[in-house]
Amino acid sequence: MRTTALNLSKSFALALLLMVLPIAVSGQTPSPAPLETPPPPSAPRSVSVPKPVEMTLRNGLRVIVIEDHDMPLVSSQLLMKNGGEVDPANLSGLADLTASLLTKGTKARTAPQIAEQIEALGGAISSGAGWDASRAAVNVMSTKFEPALVILADIVRNPVFAEEEIERLRQQYLDALSVSMNDPGTLAGYVASRVVFGDAAYGHPLSGTMKSIAEIKREDIAALHAKFYRPDNAVLVVGGDIKAAEAFKLAEKLFGDWPKPGAAMPSRGQVGKIEKGEKPRVVVVDMPEAGQAAVVLARTGISRNDPDYFRGIVTNAVLSGYSGRLNQEIRIKRGLSYGARSSLDTRRDAGPFEASAQTKNPSGAQVAALLVGELGRLSTQAVNESELVPRKAVLIGNFGRALETTDGLVAQIASLALHGLNLDEINGYIKNVQSITAADVQKFASTRLDAKNANIIIVGNSKEFLAELKKLYPEVEVIAFADLDLDHASLKKSSVGAAGAAKQ
Amino acid sequence: MQWKSKSLVVFLALFLLAGSLVTEVSAQVSMPRLDFRDRKLANGLRVISLEDHSSPTVSIQVWYKVGSKDDPEGRSGFAHLFEHMMFKSTRNMKDEMMDRLTEDVGGFNNASTWDDYTNYYEVVPSNYLETLLWAEADRMASLAVNEKNFGSERAVVQEEFRSRVLAPPYGRLFYAIEKRSFTTHPYRRPGIGSLEDLDAATIADVKAFFKTFYRPDNATLIVVGDFDAKQMDGWIDKYFGRVPKPDQPLPRVTVKEPARTAEQRFAETGPNVPLPAVAITYLAPPVTSDDAYALRVAESILGNGESSRLYQSLVYKQQVAAQAFAQADLREDSGLFVLGAILASEKLPADAEKALLAELKRVQDESVTQAELDKAKSQLLTNIIRERETSNGKGDALGRAAVLMGDVQRVNTDVAKLQSVSAGDVQRVMKKYFSDTNRVVITYQAEASKDKPAAAAPGGGK
Repeated sequence: MRTTALNLSKSFALALLLMVLPIAVSGQTPSPAPLETPPPPSAPRSVSVPKPVEMTLRNGLRVIVIEDHDMPLVSSQLLMKNGGEVDPANLSGLADLTASLLTKGTKARTAPQIAEQIEALGGAISSGAGWDASRAAVNVMSTKFEPALVILADIVRNPVFAEEEIERLRQQYLDALSVSMNDPGTLAGYVASRVVFGDAAYGHPLSGTMKSIAEIKREDIAALHAKFYRPDNAVLVVGGDIKAAEAFKLAEKLFGDWPKPGAAMPSRGQVGKIEKGEKPRVVVVDMPEAGQAAVVLARTGISRNDPDYFRGIVTNAVLSGYSGRLNQEIRIKRGLSYGARSSLDTRRDAGPFEASAQTKNPSGAQVAALLVGELGRLSTQAVNESELVPRKAVLIGNFGRALETTDGLVAQIASLALHGLNLDEINGYIKNVQSITAADVQKFASTRLDAKNANIIIVGNSKEFLAELKKLYPEVEVIAFADLDLDHASLKKSSVGAAGAAKQ
Repeated sequence: MQWKSKSLVVFLALFLLAGSLVTEVSAQVSMPRLDFRDRKLANGLRVISLEDHSSPTVSIQVWYKVGSKDDPEGRSGFAHLFEHMMFKSTRNMKDEMMDRLTEDVGGFNNASTWDDYTNYYEVVPSNYLETLLWAEADRMASLAVNEKNFGSERAVVQEEFRSRVLAPPYGRLFYAIEKRSFTTHPYRRPGIGSLEDLDAATIADVKAFFKTFYRPDNATLIVVGDFDAKQMDGWIDKYFGRVPKPDQPLPRVTVKEPARTAEQRFAETGPNVPLPAVAITYLAPPVTSDDAYALRVAESILGNGESSRLYQSLVYKQQVAAQAFAQADLREDSGLFVLGAILASEKLPADAEKALLAELKRVQDESVTQAELDKAKSQLLTNIIRERETSNGKGDALGRAAVLMGDVQRVNTDVAKLQSVSAGDVQRVMKKYFSDTNRVVITYQAEASKDKPAAAAPGGGK
């Protein structure tokens, strides 16, 4: 409640970190006593990553267990391998609303009973849809895992989707959306997805729009559940203070009789964007009272299974993170933002690459130019080894720290399982990152992340930055906040006029 | 309330855990004790350490007993701005070298400024422990500021102010809670400051603040993780032992916030506020008070999770609120207990205020149930265990006990105290601290705009 957050994950270290300490203390003003340099590191200690084990139940449910007995906690996630990408074009938010409704009542438990029972165990149950996956998850003390998993199984298998609960949650979604739409950073993210993906599936807000949420009916929800919530489309991941044999036994007991439908899984249609060589867009959403301008540079990136995956995440790490180039140029050197960052969101189809920062309104155009400049510089100049080595260390350290908590461990394994990747990749991560060279980064940046194909989105008080932005980008489209329509690639309500005809 | 840090970090839920572990807290779960060592150097530096070899990393934290309440007059936000400067140059390190020593080797660093203290922390591969002990000692001894790094970092902090207060729809509400809840104590000045006060800050202020508060006898070093105790003690003696202890006394805030005698009301507004909100604040006893345990349990019963009383009543049954919260923001001096709600569409602040006060009256008039009590304790216990999954989390728990609460043993004794809270205790503290004549009510709505009446979201719907 108190404030928003970005993630910093947890700690770790590796045998390979005997890297240069870029100590830079020379060239300062002379002082009476000699300057000191930091003591060098001692020999690194080795590290071991826990090993996942798995089995598949007769109904097709894949169960993966990863033991970690440091603390008396167990985390578990049941994921279905479809999410917001299956939303019908006019019903964006359907998969997320469906997943959220799982905790709002089953044949055996009302919504308040589900909350009451899981919270009495000291845990929390959460459910929601992402891109390509819908999830329900719990994290409890290990002594309370079985009763928690009983509830998790019940909500996934037996939701009733009562009309009263649908209406209640619909209203909560609309209220939450009205808040998100007034936050420049969140809104800029919504607009960026539409601009990058147009009318393709990844283009809509995951939690829907005011219009689509209002239109979703009970039968849409029930149909989505019937179609995608089935054991042969699901993975159960259990991690923490539990023996694998015990976890398998519980899985069999609670999910073994989950029937597998006779019909085959529906085939997956085109989800990502079909590149048609359109010109990139420069879109300003004018929000006159905005306290800051939110600036996003966005384009298509790569899929999780792309052979360039490790080249991609290393390239992104050069740009992003506290000492990444974006934050160096925008925050550290120029004081233009509290933080600049980028993300390569890899999905089943190519997801977005986004670079972003929030800045005072008058600096909106300058920050946009800096984001474009830094992305472009990656293609034209090779990264020095002295810069690349530490950025790879950042990735490896973040990865290791993510594995230190039960939730983090389960999330990493679930992500590999979702994409059908070998679970051993968790052990190959360090080697894979270390193998990426400066030439790889430059090639990836120029062939997969060309800045020339990137779109620019700014949400803010346009009169403070529009004149400067127009000098750089005369083709800028300006949309008044009140005229914004996230249901279409045009981004403008149809009554607004000609631009609405640009349907793809 | 903690507003700030060098860069954004995840904030733990709505409550700060006061608590910790004992060997056996319930029949079912045995909580590992934190078997820390505690020693003091001749210059007054306190050192608390805990070995944990579960991963080859180490968390190094330095907690200074200086916070936003120590901001100089006319310089609100200064302690936080100062915290940012601690990542700039020292005698032996140039700007951002802390990042080179942490981030570049696969670790990270950050810091946060609270009302009563400021903590700096790094997690690094454990073979870098000596390096980081040297670096923390170096910045304790020899911070160096200049016009260039001060000017650019002040601009960063002003952007942080815009990101936290001006840009988000409810940023100004949380700012107002700080400002409106105290009349006398320096807690009345929001820790994030104001753009004007930040503009007024000078390099001379930075130097004076450093000299006054950043000294070994005002600091606690905490090391948790993979280390050899004897070797580490030697490094600490070598690098921290030589930092001199100044002669001048440490200034302390002694002002007390007077008890409230009448309800006070404030109507706040902001742009781009789609749904009105209301917050009701009460003065709470210090974090070290024996009543703090029952207030934590009350906070949990009222506000933690979808089975909590506020969610069930305001969000689920009456549907008067989109979100409702209870927060025990306990501090070294009188802190706050806040009840609040962001309204559901078409509801008015008066509706939510009435509903919040009705729930408050209910916990005052009737005993909470045994099931609610057990649930709250279970939730609090689980949160304590989860915090201690990492070395850095264990270090945080040790730091709060030692520095904020002044008794590091509480890291191992508070859990039993929390578990012994009775329904009668909850009812008693709710009667003791909450009345019709000691609340501050803050309503928050869209300001009347020149262009449009209210910031409804576009896109149709209702």
